[in-house]
Amino acid sequence: MCADRLIDQDLLPALLAPARQADYPRDSRAFVRIDTSLRVYWHTLFDICPSLLTLAPPDGLALFRPWMAWAEQQQVSMNWTFYLWVAAWLEDSPFAGQLTDAIRLELMAASAARWAMADRSRALGVALASPRLADTLVLGWKNQRVDGGREVECLELDAPLPPAPAPFGYFVLAQVDQDDFPGWQALPR
Amino acid sequence: MDIGFNFTLGNTLPMVQRFRDEGLIDYCELLIDNFLQVPPHDLAEALDCPVGFHIMFSRFIEADRAQLRDLASQLRPYIEQLKPRYVSDHVACFSHQGRQLYHLAEIDYPTAYAQVREQVLFWQEQLGMPLYLENYPSILDGGHDAPAFFQQLAEDTGARMLFDASNAVCAWRNCGVPLTDWLPHIDATPHFHVGGYNVSVLEPRLILDTHDSELADDTLDYLRQWRTRFDKPGATLTYERDNNLDEASIARDLRRLRAVFCEEPAPCALTA
Repeated sequence: MCADRLIDQDLLPALLAPARQADYPRDSRAFVRIDTSLRVYWHTLFDICPSLLTLAPPDGLALFRPWMAWAEQQQVSMNWTFYLWVAAWLEDSPFAGQLTDAIRLELMAASAARWAMADRSRALGVALASPRLADTLVLGWKNQRVDGGREVECLELDAPLPPAPAPFGYFVLAQVDQDDFPGWQALPR
Repeated sequence: MDIGFNFTLGNTLPMVQRFRDEGLIDYCELLIDNFLQVPPHDLAEALDCPVGFHIMFSRFIEADRAQLRDLASQLRPYIEQLKPRYVSDHVACFSHQGRQLYHLAEIDYPTAYAQVREQVLFWQEQLGMPLYLENYPSILDGGHDAPAFFQQLAEDTGARMLFDASNAVCAWRNCGVPLTDWLPHIDATPHFHVGGYNVSVLEPRLILDTHDSELADDTLDYLRQWRTRFDKPGATLTYERDNNLDEASIARDLRRLRAVFCEEPAPCALTA
């Protein structure tokens, strides 16, 4: 048995909080364990949305650390809405002036894909919209073929839907050819 | 010992089919979460070999029962049609105070035992078949409690282990859980996992269950040393590779595993 017994559960609050990592010695297993956890959030953000690195070069940490601190303060669940809350936070951050519609769409597409991977309900798809991108709908679809994968598409609407609530609205789709609008749902935190 | 490969994403289907056709695998293990919108018949037809089911994100220890009932009702048609050799799930901590952990954590086995036992009983009942539960690749000292936990859980619920040999090696390397502590569990289950691991970026180095590289010598030695206890009628060993999906590299590892279970035992470097 290791001396000074330490288990994962002792570190849970720090596994999502970069600021808490400094509570542990740099050369300790606890520090490395926390680092291992935080790296997955970093990769989840920047591997999927690489254009965010252009906002905070070279390693994105100037963006990552304050985002994670805000997410902890707001108790963001880090579920499929992860990228949408990143986008919402960015709009009120020092990075707001660098945001482009392409980055906003990239973040929406990432959340749609994450929904398609993570949702365990019977719904087949999700539709996302932002009041900042009028008449644009981002759709995420679960994998429906044995040799396929989840799919994301961006639609420009001919017939506008009612404005989506801020920061984003969403609704789920039971089937591919669904043509009724069930109304916007507010983004869960 | 039947050797299998994990089928996690549809775009790897041609590779899985080649492994099957070349005799490198005897079955494949579906990460069934990713195929719940694919008709069961399509899966059976495309794979055309025995299957196992691995459930990744039921979060059955933490999930509420209505969610589990609904997920089970989605899984049952697949169980009925594909008749998997096993259905497996994870004993791990997926969230903290409602916030998702992207690198899963190890539960505190003594504290969580009663809740896990109740949830296992419920989840098995919903699925209509016994569960096989995977051991966590321990990083910290809580791993020492895992062997006794799984022993008690099997006695109380009938759920046996999906014993991951490389996860046990991780726990041994990281915090010294003796590999021999798992021998009764190896004897008690026919279903196993194995995969490559890697080391942490920072020091002191931790061994991480990354499924992104070829099998380590110590993992192969572990299988080789106890191969007669791993191997038994109906036994399966799934090779997991989720990252760095290099077909030639995966094929090398599948051949290594096939060699372990058809060659004479070799001298073993392990001391644990």
